[in-house]
Amino acid sequence: MDRGDSSTRFANVVTPHLDDAYGLARWVTGNRADAEDVVQEACLRAFRGIGGFTGGNDRAWVLTIVRNTAYDWLRKNRSPAVVHVDDLEAVERMQLADDAPAGDNPEAALIARADEVRLEAAIASLPVMFRETLVLRDVHGLDYREIATITDVPIGTVMSRLARARRRVIDMLGADR
Amino acid sequence: MTENDRLLLNAYIDGELDPAHLLEFERRLAEDSALADERIRIETLRSAVRQRLPRATASRELRRRVAALTRRPQLLSTNWRTGWASMAASTAIAFAAGSIATLVGLGPGSREPVPELLVASHMRALMASQSVDVASSDRHTVKPWFNGKLPESPRVVDLASQGFPLVGGRIDVIGLTPVPTLVYRARLHVISVTELPLSRRASAPPHPIDGYNVVEWIDGPLAYWAVSDLAAPELENFARAFRAGDAEP
Repeated sequence: MDRGDSSTRFANVVTPHLDDAYGLARWVTGNRADAEDVVQEACLRAFRGIGGFTGGNDRAWVLTIVRNTAYDWLRKNRSPAVVHVDDLEAVERMQLADDAPAGDNPEAALIARADEVRLEAAIASLPVMFRETLVLRDVHGLDYREIATITDVPIGTVMSRLARARRRVIDMLGADR
Repeated sequence: MTENDRLLLNAYIDGELDPAHLLEFERRLAEDSALADERIRIETLRSAVRQRLPRATASRELRRRVAALTRRPQLLSTNWRTGWASMAASTAIAFAAGSIATLVGLGPGSREPVPELLVASHMRALMASQSVDVASSDRHTVKPWFNGKLPESPRVVDLASQGFPLVGGRIDVIGLTPVPTLVYRARLHVISVTELPLSRRASAPPHPIDGYNVVEWIDGPLAYWAVSDLAAPELENFARAFRAGDAEP
């Protein structure tokens, strides 16, 4: 495939998903400049690999590359604990808070009042694998199967991460300040 | 509430339960108030995220960088960049974006043609307390100053013996592209020489803009533009001297 073909395919397959690509990179890296570097690098990888893309779910393909690029970036630029699996297991074992008493549901009221800053801070504080799962689902609106493809885990793991991620955020937002 | 209940509840809210589980789960939801409360919390969270966290959008600059790399992918290294190398590399992208922008009329950053932008930079520099970011008549000081700020240092020639002493250098931004500009003096006149990636020649020959003369010449892959209030023949002399000048130490 020559440069011209690649450029055309890139424009059709990758460019429409740049906002999603940037959004995911932003959530994983935690800041704008690094997210832009990640997207740029991911786009370069996508450009080089586009000849091998057989079609199908464009967005999932692009986000998979972005996600892998972002993880390479994390490994390079963050302490290993951030992406290390032990850390993940520690969170997996994390004791979930007791359910709030039935009735007026004060936690829901607090969540409903949480502003953008608190909401973002709560999600940002999640370990990265939980964070990306929640973001892919609730910010980007991807379904479980797509998230499983992008994050390269079984659907059961997606379900478990999503449930825990949401539970953690509810705990944080529902706690009285 | 068991772990499995939580997974089912989340899948139910996300519309991911198959019909067989769906009916059964709805029945449980009607009976189990703890489950029903948790459902409200999760749905509240979901709608809060959807309503309050705006979908991120790729900046115009990022789109330009990406557009540029599909045309000039060889400019990029696959390795992560750090420190000044990183800066230089991202400037390289800006360079690529810039040269393409010149082709298409400078892109969304500005609709102004290059000569006008160069004259504007020159005027701005004259109004500033210093027309240069690095002040030195020594080209061995000026040239390295660009290292780490731009992918490549510009060609710096010593023209003092021909009546054009070096004043220093600065970085101008032409249509969102940082470019190196050298500043020389001719008596009391200031000359800005900007090195640009060559995209194409100006559609019209350079003409005076707002009382400033503009001279353009091509050297290999680069275009040079000199801007000054120096008389046109003298500026041409300067351009000839610069082209002929020896850039080696």
